[in-house]
Amino acid sequence: MKARRSLPFLALAGCAALGLTAATALGAGHARHAAMPKRGGSITIARIEDSQSFDKTNVFQNESIWLTEQINETLYTAAKDGKTLIPWLATGYTMSKDGLTYTFTLRKGVKFSNGQPMTSADVKFSIDDARAQSKGWGYLDAAIKNITAPDPGTVVFHLKRRWAPFLADIGLFANGIIPKNFAGQTRAAFYKHPIGTGPFMWDKRTVGQSVTFKRNPYYWQKGKPYLDSVTWTFVTDENTRELQLRGGQIQIDEFPPFNSISKLQNTSGVTMSLFPSTRTDYLDINESYAPLADVHVRRAISLAIDRNAIIKSVLFGHGTPANSFLPPQVPFYDPKTPGLQYNIAQAKAEMAKSKYPKGFKVTLLVGAGAQVETAMGQILQQSLKQLGIDVTFHQEDTSTEFNDIGKRKYQLGFSYWTMDIADPDELVTFAIDPAGGASSFYTGYDNPAVVKLSHEAQVQPDPAKRAALYSQLAKQAANDAFLGFLYYSPYRWAYSSKVHGFFVEPLGNYHLEDVWLG
Amino acid sequence: MSLGEYVVRRLLQLVPISLGVTILVFFLIHLVPGDPARTILGNQATTARVALLRHAWGLDRPLPVQYLKFMGRLFHGDLGTSLFYSVGAGRLVLQRLPVTLWLIGFGALLAVVIAVPLSALAATYRDRLPDHVVRAVPLVGLGFPPFWLGIVLLLTFALNLGRLFPVGGYGHGFAGHLHSMFLPALTVALGIAPILIRSLRAGLLEVLESDYVTTARSKGLPERRVLVRHALRNAIVSTVCVLGVNIGYLVGGTLVIEQVYAVPGIGQLMINSIFERDFPVVQAVTLVFSVMVVLVYLATDVAHALLDPRVRFD
Repeated sequence: MKARRSLPFLALAGCAALGLTAATALGAGHARHAAMPKRGGSITIARIEDSQSFDKTNVFQNESIWLTEQINETLYTAAKDGKTLIPWLATGYTMSKDGLTYTFTLRKGVKFSNGQPMTSADVKFSIDDARAQSKGWGYLDAAIKNITAPDPGTVVFHLKRRWAPFLADIGLFANGIIPKNFAGQTRAAFYKHPIGTGPFMWDKRTVGQSVTFKRNPYYWQKGKPYLDSVTWTFVTDENTRELQLRGGQIQIDEFPPFNSISKLQNTSGVTMSLFPSTRTDYLDINESYAPLADVHVRRAISLAIDRNAIIKSVLFGHGTPANSFLPPQVPFYDPKTPGLQYNIAQAKAEMAKSKYPKGFKVTLLVGAGAQVETAMGQILQQSLKQLGIDVTFHQEDTSTEFNDIGKRKYQLGFSYWTMDIADPDELVTFAIDPAGGASSFYTGYDNPAVVKLSHEAQVQPDPAKRAALYSQLAKQAANDAFLGFLYYSPYRWAYSSKVHGFFVEPLGNYHLEDVWLG
Repeated sequence: MSLGEYVVRRLLQLVPISLGVTILVFFLIHLVPGDPARTILGNQATTARVALLRHAWGLDRPLPVQYLKFMGRLFHGDLGTSLFYSVGAGRLVLQRLPVTLWLIGFGALLAVVIAVPLSALAATYRDRLPDHVVRAVPLVGLGFPPFWLGIVLLLTFALNLGRLFPVGGYGHGFAGHLHSMFLPALTVALGIAPILIRSLRAGLLEVLESDYVTTARSKGLPERRVLVRHALRNAIVSTVCVLGVNIGYLVGGTLVIEQVYAVPGIGQLMINSIFERDFPVVQAVTLVFSVMVVLVYLATDVAHALLDPRVRFD
C-alpha cells in the first residue's frame, strides 16, 4: 500500500526533476546563446546635435569627434577606465633614457578601409598634418620636434623636451592615422568622407539630418565589427528621441534628460545606463570684478554652494559633489583634495575676513532657456543671500553667454569641462595657467606657484612624483577657490535592450566595434 | 491692368524687397552679440585660435566690406558657405526647402479638408447642436500649443495605437513622405482650421441668405447642390485670403513642429543657425523666407481674382 501511494509522488517528483533539468539546460543554453555576439544588423543613434565636420584635426565638437573615432584610430588609446593607455595601432613603444625619443612598433596587418596597408609613412604624414593645424589641435603636439619612419613598421618621435603627457597626446583622436597624402585627394575632399583603419567606413551623409557609416571589411580586429552599419540622426527634442527609442525607430538615445532617468530605468525594452564621465561643472568666478579678486570672498562663495541641493534638484540625485577641478576619472586625481564643501558658518567667517564683510552685488550669467543653469542659479542666489551677496540674473542666449564668458565680460557664470585625453595636463593648463590661452578658465586666476607645479608635472617622468605634484597643485587651487567646483555627473545613455556591448568611456567615446544586436 | 501684368509687376517687386531684407538681416545678425568662432571652438576658444578662425572666414574685415563681398557673391548666385558645416548655404537651404513646403502644403490641405465640411455643417445647422459643436471643438486646436499637441499625437498614433505612424522624420519617397508627414501636417492643420472654419461659416451664412440662393432653392435644386455649387464658391473667397495670410505666417513658423517631429525643415535650420551665429545660412534662409512670403501673398491675390471676377488690378 505504501509503495502504491508513493508511486504517483515519485512520478511527480521525477517529472519535476526532469522539467527542472530541462529548464536549466534550456536556460543555460539560452544564456550561453545570449552572451555570444551576433553578426549583422544596423543601429540608429539619435543625438542632440548634428555633426559639424569630420576633419579630426580641426573639430572640437563631441558629436563630430565621437564619430570620427569610428573611422580613425590612434597608436595608443584610452582604456575603459579612461586613465590608462593601451596599445592600439601600435603594439608597444620604447622611450630613450632622456625621454626625448619614442620608438613605436606598428601593429602588423592593419589596413585602411580602401584596402591599403597602414605603414609608418602614413603615421608620420597623419601626425605631421595634425600638428600643423594651428587653428585646431596642433597645440597638443607642440612637444614634437620631428617624426621619422625608418622602416614601414616603425615610427620614431623626437621631442623638443621631455614631455610626460606625450603618450596621452598621441592617443588624442586628432592624431588618428589616415592614408599618406590623403589617399591622393585634396585635404578638403578627403575630410568630406575620411578614410581610416577604424571598424567603420564612410557611407553617406545628409547634412543636418543623418550620417551613416558601414562596416569596414578590412578591420584589423577579426570578426569585428558585428554591426553592418550605424546611422546617427539629429533630433533636438528630448521627448521625440525618447518616443523614437520606445517605438523602435532608434536603438540608442544620447543624453536623455536627468528627469527621465527613473522612468527609462523602468521602461520595458529599454536599458538606461549612467557611465562614469570626466564631466565636471563649475561656477566661473571672474577676478576682474573687484570683490571676486578677494580670495576670502571666493572661498565664502565656494563654501556657500549647496552642492547636494543642486544635485538633488537639477540632476535628480545622479551626481556627486566636486572636490577638485579635476574629475575622478582622470589620472592623478586626488580624492583627498580639500575642495570647499557646503558650510554656511565657515562661509560667513570667510566673508568676515574679506574686504566686503557686508556683502556686495553681483550678476550671474545664465543661458536663456537653460533650465539646469536657471535652477542652479536660484539655489546659489538663496545661498549667497545669507552672506549678503545679492545675486542678479543676467540672461543671454547660449551663444552670447559663451562669447561673454570667453571674453571675460561676466562676473559669475557657469561652465563645464570634459577631458579629451587620458592625462590631466590639458585641463590643468587650460584651468590654472594664464598663458594657457584661456586666462585660467576665463577667471583671470594667476598663482605662479600653481603654474610652476604644472610645469614641473609636465616634465616629470615618474608617475608617483607626478601624482604628488598634481595633488599639491589641486590642493592649492582648491584653497584659492578660483572656480566653484560644483559636481561630477555621469554620461546618460538610453538604448534598446537588444543592443549589447555598448559602453561609453569616461572620455565620452564609445567603441562600436564591440556592439551587437541581440 | 490684366492679371498677367499684375503678376509680372509683383514679381519684379521681389527684387527690392529681397534686397531690403538682405541688407537688414546682414547688419542685424552681425550686430547681435555672439561669435561663431567661439561657438565652434567651444572650450578651446583661445584668443589666438578665435582670431585665426575669424580671419579665415573674413569676419575680421569691416562690416561694409563684408556686405559688399556678400552682395558680389549673391549676384553670382552664391549664398556663401556655412560657417558650421563648410558647405554651401544655398545647398543647405534648398535641401530643406521641400521638407518645409511639404509641411506647409500638406498642412494647408488638411486644414481645408477639415474646415470646409465642418463649416458647411455649421452653417447648415445654424445655432443648433452641430453648429455649437463645430464652433467649440476646433478651438482646442487653437488653445493647445503645437508642441504639446505634437507630443500627444505621437504618443497616441505613433506609439500606443498600433504604431500607425513613425515617430517623426521625413521618410523616403512620396509614399514615405506622406506617411511620415501626416502627423506634423495634422498638427499644422489643427492650428489653422479653427480660423478657417469661423471665416467660412460666416461667409456661408451671409451667402445662404442672398437672393440668388433663394432663387436656386425656389427652382427646386437640392440643398446640397445649392450649398456646393452656389454658396460655397462665393463664400470661400474671403477664406482664401485668410488661408493665404496664415500660410504666410507658417513660413518660418513651423519651427516648433519641425523640432517635435524631427522634421529637417528650414525652420530648424534657421533657429540652429541663429544660435550658432552661422551668418551665411541665416542670410540665405531669410532671403528664401522673404521670397516665399511674397509668392504666397501673390498666389493668394491671384486665387482671389480667379474666384471673384469683380476684382480689378490697378
